[in-house]
Formats: sequence, structure tokens, C-alpha cells
Amino acid sequence: MFGIMARAATTSDVFNAIAEPRRREILALLRTGERPVTEITEKLGISQPGASKHLRVLREVGLVRDRKAGRQRLYDLDAGGLQLVHEWTGGFEQFWNESFDRLDAYVQDLKKERQEE
Amino acid sequence: MSTTGRESQAQPATGDREIVISRVIDAPRELVFEAFTDVRHLSQWWGPEGFTTTTRSFEFRVGSEWDFVMHGPDGTDYSEWISWTEIVPSERIAMLHGEYRGDPNAFESVLTFEPDGEATRIEMLTVFPTKELRDEAIERHGAIEGGQQTLGNLAAYLAEMVRKGAES
Repeated sequence: MFGIMARAATTSDVFNAIAEPRRREILALLRTGERPVTEITEKLGISQPGASKHLRVLREVGLVRDRKAGRQRLYDLDAGGLQLVHEWTGGFEQFWNESFDRLDAYVQDLKKERQEE
Repeated sequence: MSTTGRESQAQPATGDREIVISRVIDAPRELVFEAFTDVRHLSQWWGPEGFTTTTRSFEFRVGSEWDFVMHGPDGTDYSEWISWTEIVPSERIAMLHGEYRGDPNAFESVLTFEPDGEATRIEMLTVFPTKELRDEAIERHGAIEGGQQTLGNLAAYLAEMVRKGAES
């Protein structure tokens, strides 16, 4: 189980981060391009300290990155963190996890069959 | 290995183009291995829930292949082709996986079977030739799943976000 455990430890933060609805709203807003915190605050109707806190969490797990532009700081999506979520929800891993579920059930039947022989 | 590489910022050379999936199955490894060796077995479990396969040809021998069609629950067919590149009975199977013979985008997976007490731990390590091919395989398998999975929409949404994020 080492593989799964090690991965769970590194990805759980990303999943925790997107479990919060406000943070998902921020991510959805940033899909259209980078924005300063003031704009995020206005568009989503949240306080600046609240927005800053969410942005910090999103940045720490690699979902959002920021850069300084003059006097303001601009926030943008970071594809790195999203990739983990994307893989988990859709692709290859799910295909194989489901195949292995079926393999497990099949092997249990096979085991029973052999024991009865 | 990506399992450890992902924990640190410094990834190994293949870190961004490999995927490791593991599973513990409560059965002796000879039996788990056997489930991979015969199409009679493979056709009973290969693919996600609701999928079936029709085999065109099958031979479990190094250099031989499994040529088959995978049928999705929504009626979509997917051409599949697998060639065995290494077989060590009860221990290891390496295979080249593509959509047809000679597929330039085929990728290699190595399955290892390790005893874990009375159970068996399977690990499947897939290394893609490039990060792009890895992403493509994720997309393709995501698309295969997408038709019937409730997570399909979320996956499509995230795919778009990843793409947008990568462009900027």
C-alpha cells in the first residue's frame, strides 16, 4: 500500500483546499485570467482578509501562484496542483483502480473455486 | 519512483511522465498472476465497471499480443492492443499498451506481484515516452470513463482548467 499512502499524504492538501466552496469560486474566477486580490474580493463579495487567507491556502498547495506587478500582487491558476486533481477524477488511475476492483472480486471467486476442488 | 518523488519538489527524471498504481489483493500471488495470463480470466475483469471486451487474438508469450476491442456501457468501442515484453511467472509482467499494432504512442507498463503476508501487492508502473503522451493517455482514459462516470463532468472541467493554467 506504500504507493497509495505516499500519494495520499502529498495530495490530501490539494483536495482539502478545493473542498471549501469559496476556494472553488476563486479557482473558477481565475480561469479567466490573473487578478489582484481586490478584484477577487469585489467579484465574490468576500472580505479582503478572507480572500487573502483562501489565496494563501491555494498557493501553499500549488493550485494558485502569484507575482508582483508594480504595487499589486496578481493571482493566477497553477496547473501543477490541478494536474493531481485532474488525474484523480478522470483518467488513467480511475480506469485502473476500477479494473483492479474487478480483478480483486474475480480472484476471490477463483480462490473459492480452487478451494472447493 | 513517483511515489516518493511526488513528496519532494525535486522530482526524478521520469517523475512527470510516469504513473504508479498499486493494490493489495487477498489471494496468493500465483493466483493473482494467473488472472493476467489467460483471456478467459482477463475478459472477466479488464476495464472499469460495466465494460466488456471482445478478443480478436490472444497469446500470453513474450513478443505475442492481445488484440481486442473494449466496449463501453454507452456502446462506444475502443480498439486496444497489448504486447508482452517480459514475463516472469508469478513475479512480473511488462507490456506495451497501444490502440493498435505499431501505435507510435504505445507506452510500457510493468506489473510486479509481491507477497504481502497471505495477500499479494500488485504495483503497476507506467512510464510514458514523454509528458505529453502521459497527459494524452490520461485524457483518453478520462474520456473512456467520462461517458458513464458521475465524475466525468468534473474531470472535463478540470482538464480545461489544467489546459488554461498551462497556457498562461
